[in-house]
Amino acid sequence: MGIMEIGTRALQANQVALQTAGNNIANVNTAGYSRQTAILETLPGQFTGGGYIGKGVAVQTIKRNYSEFLTRQSTMASATASADNTRSDKLKQLEGIFEGGPNGLGASISDMLNSFSDVASAPTDLTARTVTLTRIDETASRMRAASQRIDDLQIGVAQELTEKITAVNALAKSIGQVNDQIAKVQGQGQPPNDLLDRRDQLITQLNRYVQTTSIPADDGTVGVFIGGSQALVLGTSVAEIRLVKDEFGDLLKSKLAVVRNGSAVVMDENSLSGGEIPGLLRFQNEDLVEGRNLLGRLTMAISQSMNEQHHLGLDLDGNPGGDLFSAPTFDGNNVLIPKQYPSPAPPVKLNTGNMTLSLNISDPTKFAASDYEINFDATGLAGSIKRLADGKLTNFTVDAPTREFRFQDPASAVPSFTERSIDGIGVTAPPPPPLPLTIAGSGDRYLLKPFSTSASNITAQFSTPRALAVASPVVGIMGSANTGSLQQISVVARGPNPPNVPTIPFTPVTLNFLDPYTYTRSDDGSATIFTYTPGDAIEGTLPDLPPGTPLVYSNPLDQWSVKLQGQPKAGDTFTINALKNTSADPKLNSGGALAMANLRDKATFDGAAMTDGYAGLMSQIGIRTQSSSFAATVSSTIAANLERDRTAVSGVNLDEEAAKLIQFQQAYQASAKMIQIAQNIFDTLIQGLGR
Amino acid sequence: MSNAAFTRIGSANTYDNALRNLSSRQSALVNLQENLTSGKRVVRASDDPTGAAQAERAQTRLERVKSDQRALESQRNSITAAEGTLGDVTSALQNFRELIVSAGNAAFSPAERRTVALQLSGLRDQIFAMSNRTDSNGQPLFSALGSALTPFVGPNAPPQDYNFKGLPGQAAATDVSIPFSLDGDAAFMNPVGQDSVYNVTLANNNSAIPINRTLQTTNVAVKLPPNPQPNGSSYEIKITGVDTSSTPGTTKVSYDITETPNGGGPATTISVLPPASYPTITTGDKAGTGSFAVTGMLGLDMTISGTPIVNDTVKVDNSPSLFSVLDDAIRDIGGAGNINAAAQAVSQALNNIDKGMERVSAVRGRAGDLLNRADTITSNQEKRSVQLEADRSRAEDLDMIRGIADFQNQQTGYSAALQSYAQVQKLSLFNFIS
Repeated sequence: MGIMEIGTRALQANQVALQTAGNNIANVNTAGYSRQTAILETLPGQFTGGGYIGKGVAVQTIKRNYSEFLTRQSTMASATASADNTRSDKLKQLEGIFEGGPNGLGASISDMLNSFSDVASAPTDLTARTVTLTRIDETASRMRAASQRIDDLQIGVAQELTEKITAVNALAKSIGQVNDQIAKVQGQGQPPNDLLDRRDQLITQLNRYVQTTSIPADDGTVGVFIGGSQALVLGTSVAEIRLVKDEFGDLLKSKLAVVRNGSAVVMDENSLSGGEIPGLLRFQNEDLVEGRNLLGRLTMAISQSMNEQHHLGLDLDGNPGGDLFSAPTFDGNNVLIPKQYPSPAPPVKLNTGNMTLSLNISDPTKFAASDYEINFDATGLAGSIKRLADGKLTNFTVDAPTREFRFQDPASAVPSFTERSIDGIGVTAPPPPPLPLTIAGSGDRYLLKPFSTSASNITAQFSTPRALAVASPVVGIMGSANTGSLQQISVVARGPNPPNVPTIPFTPVTLNFLDPYTYTRSDDGSATIFTYTPGDAIEGTLPDLPPGTPLVYSNPLDQWSVKLQGQPKAGDTFTINALKNTSADPKLNSGGALAMANLRDKATFDGAAMTDGYAGLMSQIGIRTQSSSFAATVSSTIAANLERDRTAVSGVNLDEEAAKLIQFQQAYQASAKMIQIAQNIFDTLIQGLGR
Repeated sequence: MSNAAFTRIGSANTYDNALRNLSSRQSALVNLQENLTSGKRVVRASDDPTGAAQAERAQTRLERVKSDQRALESQRNSITAAEGTLGDVTSALQNFRELIVSAGNAAFSPAERRTVALQLSGLRDQIFAMSNRTDSNGQPLFSALGSALTPFVGPNAPPQDYNFKGLPGQAAATDVSIPFSLDGDAAFMNPVGQDSVYNVTLANNNSAIPINRTLQTTNVAVKLPPNPQPNGSSYEIKITGVDTSSTPGTTKVSYDITETPNGGGPATTISVLPPASYPTITTGDKAGTGSFAVTGMLGLDMTISGTPIVNDTVKVDNSPSLFSVLDDAIRDIGGAGNINAAAQAVSQALNNIDKGMERVSAVRGRAGDLLNRADTITSNQEKRSVQLEADRSRAEDLDMIRGIADFQNQQTGYSAALQSYAQVQKLSLFNFIS
């Protein structure tokens, strides 16, 4: 009897092993499937006088080949890879907005400024003027288009985020359900391999979106945590994640929050480390902000500089120039204060004072492409401002009578609040019409985003070629009887008081040369003798006394600036006069166009010339894209390697299964043979008995 | 098991890895193809941010050079036109001069001199028109630092009969440009001071000096500094007394000088005392004549010679411009009643026109300098363009040979990968189970 029984058991056990191999083969391409092995064991032998006689084989369990360590590593690596890949893909799109070459924004800026040189050649030629106006319009529209494309990208990112968050919440719910099922079958004594696979697969999928940490519990469930500490799934209870605004309610940024029991905990995307959602958030909150700031700075610096220069010119009708571009303005989108959103939004520390800040442009050549955060100290009239791009802190005080912010002079080691602007941006706290003054509370915070909107709003301001103000309101006149070799390099008007407005009377200033090296000025009552250096600017304000070489002029420079070259002789004169006071035809003057064309070389973007600003912007975005692409390549490779290691344990190898099929098929055949032999034995026995 | 575990290969994973490798090779191939077809190494900024920025900057500078060169061409055209115009002015002045010399012919009748004056007046109109020429863009060629559309206007009421309506002075050339215009004030106007020009006419009671008497003046000379410089006033010298008898052999001439200031204003008359005294020549064909230097004209030297009599007047008029000189010559030659007046007019005109031609030539020389400068700038800019183009190319263009070599490598690699993939996938134990 024993042999029959052993044969039957062996037959069954090998069938199970064959079935397991078959199951493995069937699931060779199933994602998340872990290779299974039938574990066989011998049945305890029967004790007889002749010792223990074996009773055959049984299937102990179906083992799931699985390494917790490798699975965790692989999941983490693939989360990092998907974060890097997502960010890199998006940055490539952002980079596409700032293309170089003849179709780029840079070329249109350079063409626009170059076109002023044609106007300078023929100031009365309306065609040249019209070309310039068209180029200005073209530049403005390319700036707007770039801004629009950034907005489109932002909208796309926001939609993608919403979809992915929905997916994460669905996955979390499924994990909770699988946890529940696993807990229910926990008591059966055998591991629910397929449920475990399913849960691991769900967790892997979840990690594509956001990196999580899994901690197993005693009841077979797994707790899933985001950011290392916030529980997304605990046993069967599932929290929800959602997007919330940051504490300043900045519409261009968002944060991930875990909502559990009606209270939200906000997580910084940098602590989330991996997954598509942190990748997108990082892109949205850092890269896109930088792209927007760079474009905004380019727009604002160029439009402001050109407007300022154009204001200093006279048009064909002798009127001062207006705006070429719409003047940059600042509104509520540029100054943000902490904002509390309704529950379950996280609590925000609101400002206690009622000070409202406004921004103004002080010097477009000093702009830094960054947002700023202001923190008031306990006095409510001083504090520090932080440049968010690099974290540089600068102290400030609020000047009592003017209500203007005064910033620490960076050159001074001791507190010296003399700077009127931070990186070319001035801040004022205007009192509301009915006094008393507004005040800031201790610890009040403000977020300044000076460049976030300028590119989207820019337009070319007018379309009359006659109104292009390219005549310089101030001109130089040499004495007719000059005998030296004096030549005029340039005479340019300076704000804020150029001598071009009819209501501002202008007294001509004459430089009387005493010899080739010195001169006196007619506007200097004390007849100080100044040193003449060919090629050095002579300014409308009087030089500081005592005169040295080179001459020093204190700010603010005003009215005009003259450069001469050549060697004057004693008695030679050079007079600076308002164009309107002279007999020269204002229509034929093109000094303003030259000054406009000279903006090309004005050090504007961190010291780079205005026409080079775009190249800097391009390469800055390019470097970001390049480094993110490198990161994506590296993390993808790491993820691929770790996944290979994981599948080395859990993956199905078809050759191996084929070998097993042969192995167990032979065993199965042998077992069948065993039964046949048992039957033969029986038959022999029965036949023998029957005779 | 654990050591062996890492050598196990998951079949599905092998497929995945092989596929990923294949597709990464394919995308590398596509990128190389993009590089080859566009001819650029840097297709987007992230391919090489520094190179992209360099290429963009080089592109901007190339455009800048183009724009500067376009402006320079326009400037060169203007200056060339101005230089040519000054050449025309010079030859017209030469013709003018020759006609004046011919008018000095002692045999000419007043009517013949009037005919010459008519010819002169035609030349004067030409010269005046040339001074107001404009370039192809409508900018006056001689607008100096800026001027009215018509820089020279006149004749107006004396004393300033011609005006330069503009800002005297010369703009400087820069590294990439030359000025659009020349200093018309320096070319055609006679400034007050060292270069002042004066025209002298003689008369007796408003009629010409009769031919039986001689009365001449030297050309007016400006005294060199540090002597006081002339102030542009015009003078009229009137002989009030001639005494030849009180001291035999010596003539004493007393005269009044009336000064009319340059800027207008009341004329003032002073009597020069003591009278000028000079020895009378007693022999030869100049018997009875002599000469004396006129004092009392600020910064000016002039000598009157001949036989002055009472009521002789010598008018010394400031000529503010070349056109005034021409007008004076036409008036004085055309109106000369006799050979005496004609001789005086011819000598004054020749002297003053020569001074004018000097000024025109000086400005023409400046134009030549500027044109040379323009040539230098052009050649520099061309070199710069080549340099910039090379910079741009180095920064972003693909080295074709290398590109093709890389492409071939990738292609070989890709096809090897495809083949090996196909072959490895064929290997399976199942092939041998039958």
